[in-house]
Amino acid sequence: MKKVVISVLGQDRPGIIAAVSGLLFEEGCNIENVDQTILQSEFSGIFITGIPVEKNYENLNKRLVEGLKDLGLEVFIKPLDHSQPRLEFCESEPFVYTTRGPDKKGLVASITRVIADYGVNVTNLQAVFRGGDNPSDNIMIYEVAVPPDVIQKELHAKLRRTAERLGLEISIQHRKIFEALNRI
Amino acid sequence: MLNEREILSTLEMLKNENLDVRTVTLGINLFDCASDDPQRFQDNIRRKITGLARDLVAVCDQVGEKYGIPVVNKRISVGPIAVAAAPFQPDDMVAIAATLNDAAAAVKVDFIGGFSALVQKGIAPGDRALIEAIPRALTATERVCASINVASTRAGINMDAVVLMGRIIKEAAALTADSDGLACAKLCVFANIPQDIPFMAGAYLGVGEADTVINVGVSGPGVVKKALDRALESNPALDLGNLSEIIKKTSYKVTRVGELIGREVADILNIRFGVVDLSLAPTPNVGDSVGEIFQSLGLKGIGVPGTTAALALINDAVKKGGAFASSNVGGLSGAFVPVSEDLNISRAAEDGLLSLEKLEAITSVCSVGLDMVALPGDTSAETLAGIIADEMAIGVINKKTTATRTIPVPGKTAGQYAHFGGLLGQSVIMPVNNEKSENLFIRRGGLIPAPTHSLNN
Repeated sequence: MKKVVISVLGQDRPGIIAAVSGLLFEEGCNIENVDQTILQSEFSGIFITGIPVEKNYENLNKRLVEGLKDLGLEVFIKPLDHSQPRLEFCESEPFVYTTRGPDKKGLVASITRVIADYGVNVTNLQAVFRGGDNPSDNIMIYEVAVPPDVIQKELHAKLRRTAERLGLEISIQHRKIFEALNRI
Repeated sequence: MLNEREILSTLEMLKNENLDVRTVTLGINLFDCASDDPQRFQDNIRRKITGLARDLVAVCDQVGEKYGIPVVNKRISVGPIAVAAAPFQPDDMVAIAATLNDAAAAVKVDFIGGFSALVQKGIAPGDRALIEAIPRALTATERVCASINVASTRAGINMDAVVLMGRIIKEAAALTADSDGLACAKLCVFANIPQDIPFMAGAYLGVGEADTVINVGVSGPGVVKKALDRALESNPALDLGNLSEIIKKTSYKVTRVGELIGREVADILNIRFGVVDLSLAPTPNVGDSVGEIFQSLGLKGIGVPGTTAALALINDAVKKGGAFASSNVGGLSGAFVPVSEDLNISRAAEDGLLSLEKLEAITSVCSVGLDMVALPGDTSAETLAGIIADEMAIGVINKKTTATRTIPVPGKTAGQYAHFGGLLGQSVIMPVNNEKSENLFIRRGGLIPAPTHSLNN
């Protein structure tokens, strides 16, 4: 088996996963990992799949595109690239950055620029901008992995300055606090 | 991956509901500082305290920042000074208190507890010297707190000590007359004192404890109140069983925060972690009050009929949640009802809802006792001793901790106000029954025997 990554995008409706996995099954593929998200009305799914060595992934792509056309789904497929070393985050400190404040353009870009400049990886991002000035309507939650060589104080000071400039209230907390409070 | 609700509800507790770690208290055993020379003893304790507590404040701030949860107070508790300094005279004890104060100031902690004696069965010379020194020691220092254990379920009530404490409280008030008897706000009289209280003024490090230990006091009355309000807003028909469940869950969360922070501070300082004391400890701020919880439960205010039942419910639910959250729960663990330190409770006293007698009744189901109660200045030492004896009896018979921290405010009468400042707050002065009269019962002294442990009715 070789591996491919398949992403599927389109308006959410019942039967999407069934359709994708049905086609993969017919093609002799083996699903290893799936994750899906629904944002507003849009479905997005990502599948890591083993395909038989003799299969050409371009043909598989064609099959999926045609098979999912009727459901209004877009498909993208690429081989899983093992030539780049996998980023290791086990030594990293997991932090959660949460911002609240009035919506305007460039909020995500400005905050993530700072995070990226320090080589910090965003492991999960949930952001909701319902517009307007109510801070609770406009929230970004970044789960990040801060590598051990990053000076946390410096990064967090910079994030605080950036948030202040953007008119955002920012909370910076180690992830453990959320687990301690909410999970047994 | 965390979900949005977990993150936002946590932030809400921190930002709008005053969730914090009320105190991280470093316990230090001073027995190895013992000496027959008062000066050498003081040098030894200064060196030990400042050495061990050097990084306490910085580490607490660092850990607080990491989790976005402020550690509001950093404090020190030491072993009972009456034991460690047993050979010394009252004058030496006053000097030792000053040294404790200086050591606390040097490491920037706001209170140091343990100017204490355990006299539930008898008073040794060191105990007497310390007790006699209390008025001067607490007047001359800002940061030192004293506690005297005069009763226990095993030993009974040492009424000689109770009478002595009535006089000592009067003297301490007189020496600090210009600040409404402030010295008395740093003095607790206990029955069944726990060995690991992190909260002031009762904190001391018990004789059976390790050389150094980190104990944590969490708080969060505001968090409990908001959780109740939110639940009742979405379903006004919730009954008391449901509300107890909400308090229990909330206290679980609050305790987890305390344990997480306490363990990390202890790890960094390389000191063993002791206990989380999951008391609901109010401050004189709106939204950080135990009294407000009573109103959320449906009472007009603390003190009206129904209050004792409500406090029994709150206290039990807090203990259950906390006991599930941590295997290392200790200290007082329950709800505090300090009158001057809780804006809502002092208002209830002002409005006539809460009397001294009702306050005494509710202490039979809460975790402390008559705490921060301002009394008329001419309350006699015998009447003060009578109040202490009653409170001790509640603790001794019910096998629980009780304490008094009463302040007879010099020159003021019932209905006037006492101002203690800062976290100690302010309060109306509560009237006392039989304020100035003699009390032959109290004057008889002796030991009220330990209660029977059978025939429990």
